[in-house]
Amino acid sequence: MDVDSFLRDPVSRRLFFRGSGVALAGGSTVLLAACGDDDGDAADGAAAGGEFRNPDVEILNSALDLEFTAVAAYRAGAVLLKGSVLAVGRRFLEQEQEHADALSQAIRDLHGTPSRPKPTYDFPQLNSQTDVLRFANDLENTAVAAYIDAIPKLTTPKLRGTAAAIVTNEAEHISVLLGALGEDPIGQTPDAFVVGEK
Amino acid sequence: MSDRTIIRDGDVDTPVVAEYEATRRDLMRRGLVVGGTVLAASSIPTLLNVRNAFAQGETDAQILEAAIGLEQTAVFAYTAAAASGKLDRGSTAAAKHFAKQEQEHADGLTTALQALNGTPPPKPTRPDQVKGLAQAATSAAGIVKFAIELETMAVAAYYDAQQKLRDAKLLQTGASIMANEGQHLVVLRTVAKQNPVPYAFETGETR
Repeated sequence: MDVDSFLRDPVSRRLFFRGSGVALAGGSTVLLAACGDDDGDAADGAAAGGEFRNPDVEILNSALDLEFTAVAAYRAGAVLLKGSVLAVGRRFLEQEQEHADALSQAIRDLHGTPSRPKPTYDFPQLNSQTDVLRFANDLENTAVAAYIDAIPKLTTPKLRGTAAAIVTNEAEHISVLLGALGEDPIGQTPDAFVVGEK
Repeated sequence: MSDRTIIRDGDVDTPVVAEYEATRRDLMRRGLVVGGTVLAASSIPTLLNVRNAFAQGETDAQILEAAIGLEQTAVFAYTAAAASGKLDRGSTAAAKHFAKQEQEHADGLTTALQALNGTPPPKPTRPDQVKGLAQAATSAAGIVKFAIELETMAVAAYYDAQQKLRDAKLLQTGASIMANEGQHLVVLRTVAKQNPVPYAFETGETR
């Protein structure tokens, strides 16, 4: 499925973070109790015997794929951006890369293997700055929706905090992008509960 | 993200900073504060008690009570700002819009708390119940600065809560509110001519 189809299909977006065997927070309590503690050491089983795979790794790798997509999109769209909007695009690209770097490190900390960026991404045809802003807005909304889905499935409390900090940053990107598309402050903050689905 | 707390210079006198530091250290020692936070000292008197209430909450119900208190404070502050006569037309409309969204947060959280058989805290009814508000409301710049501090504290509180809440839906609700507070920060920072999105990880820290 290409990125455009993915963005238009809410079912696919939700399935993105719905890895097999990933429990909600209530279930994760039992899992963590079986593994020892709840301070982020749930991957110890994987390190010791290789039989237990931390479910957070799969979720983080899905998030990492989204961040790589965002980095590629901002990089591809930069050629159509000008002036202050180009500066915004570059800043957001750097921030998405920071997310990717942090997620990669978190995966390694859990003894997992981080995903790698794809060689190419199948983006829709972008012909203007407005096209880029709208596409970036779609991507950011997709990221917010995916992270909101993922947060209760993460078993490590600190990772839930990190995911929420990333969600908030993506939501901030959305507000800036909406502003660049001409929205006033009220239009930049349309929803009291930001869940990334419009 | 470090667990270290740094207090920067601000408008607060030393005893208040010392009180904050002592409270924070005690919470850290007792393992009640998970995430590190760097705060502008000027934000401390306004929301110290609310943030600490968040940090001290052990159960979902206690965290919800603290969150409702924070949202009610925000509703009161934005309503007062909109009525102050110090803001231009656009900013007044934004303040009313933000007050409405903070009220939606409070209403949603209250419904969740009531489902847990909890009782929401009383709303502030007078300006003197929100420390620092009266002084801030004397100028547009003061109102914007106060609102930035308020929203930053809210983001920090919800960031802490993400690491303590247990109910899956509450975790999602908390994150979606935190994201909205971040969007408010974008608007406020823009008005204050600051970088609207300075941090890749919006934790309520200021660096």
